[in-house]
Amino acid sequence: MPEVKVLTRHFGAPGVTGLEGYRRVGGYRGLEKALRVGPEAVAAEVKASGLRGRGGAAFPTATKWSFLPQGVFPRYLCVNADESEPGCFKDRVLLEEMPHQLIEGAMIAAFALQVSHAFIYIRGEYRRQRELLERAVREAYSAHLCGPSVLGGEWGCELIVHGGAGAYICGEETALLDSLEGRRGQPRLKPPFPAVKGLYGQPTVVNNVETLSNLPYIVVEGGAAYAALGTEGSPGSRLFCVSGHVQSPGTFEVAMGKTTFRELIELAGGVRPGHHFKAMQPGGGSMQILGPQHLDLALDFKAVSDAGSSLGAGALVVMDETTCLVDVSMRLVDFYRHESCGKCVPCREGTYFESELMHRLEAGLATEAELGTLPDVCRAMDGRCFCPLGDTATWFVMSAYRMFPEEFHSHCGAGACPVRSALGAAA
Amino acid sequence: MAAVEAPGELLRVTIDDRQVEVAPGSLVWDACEKAGVYVPVYCAHKKLEPVAVCRMCLVEIEGMPKLQPACATRVSQGMQIRTATDQVRDFRRGNLEFLLLNHPLDCPVCDRGGECDLQDFTQRYGPGRTRSAITDKVHFDKAVRLSDRILLDQERCILCWRCVRYYEEVTGEREIVLQERGVHTLVDTFEHRELQSEFQGNLPEICPVGALTHAQYRFRARPWDLRRTASVCPKCSYGCNIFIDAREEQIARFASNDNPDVDDSWLCDRGRYSFPELNRTERVLNPEARLGGGRQPVAHSEALARAAGALLRVRGDHGAGAVGFLCSPQVTNEEGFLLQWLARQVVGSPHLDHRLEPLPELSPEQFRLGIAELEERDAVVVLGDAPERSAPVLTLRLFKTETKRRRRVLRVPLGTPAASLLEPLQGCRSVGVVAHQEQRSEAVALSRSLAGAGLSSSVLTLVEGMNARGCQDLGVSPAVLPGYQPAAEPGMHGRAILEAAAAGSIKALVLLSPDPEWERDPAFEAALSEVEALIVVTPWLGLASRQATVLFPGRTVAEKAGTVTSTEGRVQRVRTALQPRFPFPPDLRVLGELGGALGTPLGVQPLAGPVFSLIAEAVPPYRGTQGGLRADWGAPA
Amino acid sequence: MFRELLGGLRTTMRAMTTKPVTIQYPEEQRTVPPRHRGRHILHRYDNGLEKCIGCELCAGACPVGCIYVQAAENDPQHPVSPGERYAVRYEINLMRCIYCGYCAEACPTEAITLGPRLDLSDYKRERLVATKDDLLEAWPGFRPLSQGAGEGTGSPAPQPTPLGAGSEHRGPAGRAPGLNPPIPVRPDEGRGTPPV
Repeated sequence: MPEVKVLTRHFGAPGVTGLEGYRRVGGYRGLEKALRVGPEAVAAEVKASGLRGRGGAAFPTATKWSFLPQGVFPRYLCVNADESEPGCFKDRVLLEEMPHQLIEGAMIAAFALQVSHAFIYIRGEYRRQRELLERAVREAYSAHLCGPSVLGGEWGCELIVHGGAGAYICGEETALLDSLEGRRGQPRLKPPFPAVKGLYGQPTVVNNVETLSNLPYIVVEGGAAYAALGTEGSPGSRLFCVSGHVQSPGTFEVAMGKTTFRELIELAGGVRPGHHFKAMQPGGGSMQILGPQHLDLALDFKAVSDAGSSLGAGALVVMDETTCLVDVSMRLVDFYRHESCGKCVPCREGTYFESELMHRLEAGLATEAELGTLPDVCRAMDGRCFCPLGDTATWFVMSAYRMFPEEFHSHCGAGACPVRSALGAAA
Repeated sequence: MAAVEAPGELLRVTIDDRQVEVAPGSLVWDACEKAGVYVPVYCAHKKLEPVAVCRMCLVEIEGMPKLQPACATRVSQGMQIRTATDQVRDFRRGNLEFLLLNHPLDCPVCDRGGECDLQDFTQRYGPGRTRSAITDKVHFDKAVRLSDRILLDQERCILCWRCVRYYEEVTGEREIVLQERGVHTLVDTFEHRELQSEFQGNLPEICPVGALTHAQYRFRARPWDLRRTASVCPKCSYGCNIFIDAREEQIARFASNDNPDVDDSWLCDRGRYSFPELNRTERVLNPEARLGGGRQPVAHSEALARAAGALLRVRGDHGAGAVGFLCSPQVTNEEGFLLQWLARQVVGSPHLDHRLEPLPELSPEQFRLGIAELEERDAVVVLGDAPERSAPVLTLRLFKTETKRRRRVLRVPLGTPAASLLEPLQGCRSVGVVAHQEQRSEAVALSRSLAGAGLSSSVLTLVEGMNARGCQDLGVSPAVLPGYQPAAEPGMHGRAILEAAAAGSIKALVLLSPDPEWERDPAFEAALSEVEALIVVTPWLGLASRQATVLFPGRTVAEKAGTVTSTEGRVQRVRTALQPRFPFPPDLRVLGELGGALGTPLGVQPLAGPVFSLIAEAVPPYRGTQGGLRADWGAPA
Repeated sequence: MFRELLGGLRTTMRAMTTKPVTIQYPEEQRTVPPRHRGRHILHRYDNGLEKCIGCELCAGACPVGCIYVQAAENDPQHPVSPGERYAVRYEINLMRCIYCGYCAEACPTEAITLGPRLDLSDYKRERLVATKDDLLEAWPGFRPLSQGAGEGTGSPAPQPTPLGAGSEHRGPAGRAPGLNPPIPVRPDEGRGTPPV
């Protein structure tokens, strides 16, 4: 069985959503140990674990921490809980099942970085999760797990939960910081990077919920033990959200690099009966499509990247043969058009162009000439936008067009979606 | 990325095979400009911080996989920049296609048509037509009245943010905000409030398209109709450089003409929108003279002869002291100097002034500090609110000094003792004192006591009236001669002249461009009705032109050439932007010829250039300044 | 010699029987080719709104600079043209014009075309500077050419003025945007009688 249990090992334990229950399963021992061994030792363990960011970019966490300039205080930690990638719901599970695991991880990171204020920026739509989290933070405060003096020691750190207002772009770290500061949620010009000049102009580390939730395990069990769960290039375990045309969608924790997509899909019960696999999206709405030939790829950063895609935020969307990829592309592009912050031209206008074009194509109204502009439009956006949002708005569409060109061409002038028509005829 | 460089060492970069050396910290955009390679931009602006949102300036930089924004990327040693590759061209075409997707085709009715960056760049780099089948653009409100001065067309906006950033970085007033997101993003005032700023007129100028337009210039002209003349704003003594854009001998607008040492490219609304008074058509159009019972139009030569005759008669009967000379501070240096010559050398009268109220204790010490030097001072002390009321653009300079240059700006009430300033000025080594001319003695005293406390201190005084400083420098005042030499025998100041005229001891009065405001003054009216001979040179109809014994049609600031001196002592040119509606000689020649008719030839042609040489001879600090330099009055005494 | 005389007479006789080529100009006008470039016409939409929006592109395109346009803002209650802008003054110096048609080429709303009339003569030079009233079609003095200026010369019938934009030549028919206000009726100012 490829499944391993690190983050999820105590899921469902009695009362584990509360402080008592969490303590019963060994909670906050990581924080205690961290305070005992000191910040440098924690950072060293994280480095040894090879932990990479789970938000999508997969940047090594220890390296990110090391970018903080020496001796500049105050510095801030922001927990990115603005999970809004289409198909992604792992942070929600972590927040719902074990909010204290995140709080402990955040406090360990805050201690390692010697931060005095840590912020959890939680997605605006996660109202219930926010309530759960706030209750957990209150519990943590009353148990002196955060606040002016953590566990009675010298070091203290405030932990503040801040809700977003419902914008996908605020998952981008600099937009998150702007939103947290009370401005329009729009990405900032880089450099300066947040590690140098972030929240309120101070050095700031922004880490994902899942990344930080791994820290208690890493500190208690050691970085090497965590790394050994996976392979050298892809250490540790990871949560994957499997959704789409599978029998039992859900969140599964598997060892990185040792598990294949096929095994992951089988964990979710396989493709629904009577249908067969057509394509999948390995990293949420942003990432490029993969086909049946990629099913036996390992969940390994390099292997997936060599196949022309990315593990992204760890959301696997499975599509069977009833799926019209033009339709899927259209819906994804609509999402990006809706979520574009409007800051830069290629993203603001490009997603509009793309979405209008995809709507015409899906309705079977577009001509071949119009379809011919799609690669041009995407080329004018990809890599030209201010932040990755605009770039990623083209990735799925272009990869689907490259992998299934005949499906796109068959829409031209068809007057209706041919895939849907064929389904209707079959039914 | 960037190699380790010694500070101050120039960086050598290559742009499209051209090599240039630029200072460290320069942007790629600056380097391109230096290399003479044009890079199109919308969001970037020389006076604003980069945001890199329009993406128009993306260029190829060797070693970087993606195109980089030239407006926000700093150069590094040996950087190889390419702006004319297929990749860049292809992107520019694509980006313009995007911009035009939702941009209305308003060009024929848009005030910006003909001077619009979107038009220009589309012509130069863009696609001829769209390939999109979108027929329905995203629509917003048109011609939204943000105030009585500014209109906003939200559809035309390309969201470069310049207006938002202008309000954030230049005025600090933050009146325009971005709202909504994606293609529905728009700029507007918060909750549709009316704009309150005194600097709104700069918005249409920084807008790269026709989204923000002047209400006053609405549908007035096309850029190709306009004749552009560089000049100086006539509304106050600050000396902002402007362009006068005229169509058919009518001013259509004032536009800013960036002078980093003075206006930094920003104008105040009071100055920018002041030109309609210069367009007035009710004007003095003919030389006139009182003949027998009434006044009649006469030839210019006859008017001269009559004026000279009247003055000679008064001088003969009552002595030279019975002639008074008054001008407004709207005259040029040359005119002021000739009026002074006419009074002191030709007629021999000491009674001469450029304003009504007395202005004692004039000295160059009150004007030592320059406007741009404010930014270099560790701290600036502003006495009361009068300086900023007098010259609103000063507010923007102070804001820049405070925010971008991080200097201390202290606005203190009048009468603040120097001792109480020492604490807030702690740690400062140099300080500038800014005061209105009414407080100039206080300012000098304050500056002296700050200097006594070990600070290097100097004063910037704001005088009232476009060329008041020039009039003072050139001795158009009763107590000082040109160059602040004390007069051996001081004459009467303006109001005293009027009172003496009303009382009968002044028999003849020469008025050069009298201030129309004076007509509300009863003393002015009394004086004008009592004098025997009233010689008036004025463009405007009014009390003075009605009462004149001899009347010469004068020219407005927009119609004459010469120099004016701004309050910091900068000698700047005004140029003839409009031709007057009459064929008669300009004011300067009237003064010169009048001297000749009185028996003292000027010796040079009564034109701005030759008269300026006379000025430079009489006032050495003015030597060589007419190209826009500050007159150097030497170190403090 | 006699033969030559007869030959000459035959030519004379033949000419006597043909119809005269002269016409009673200006009462009669020659028909011109459809793309003839004569005096300019400013067109209206069917609802009476002027097509000209005062954009000055004609003036910009004019190689001799004979067009003067002054724009103004439309009163939304009583618009002169669709949209925000209209020409409050529109003048063409017909003496300077070289009838190249660039103005029509440049016009974004097809408001100006060059018409069939070519009678460019007057007793006063100033009158050859055509104003908007002269150029705009369907003004009160306007009468289509087909009715013939010579017919029915009763006094109430409006006389075509020398510069009246008399023509049945209309710009491309267009669906007029905007409201349907009545065509503003301008009292006949009696711009003098035509030269006889």
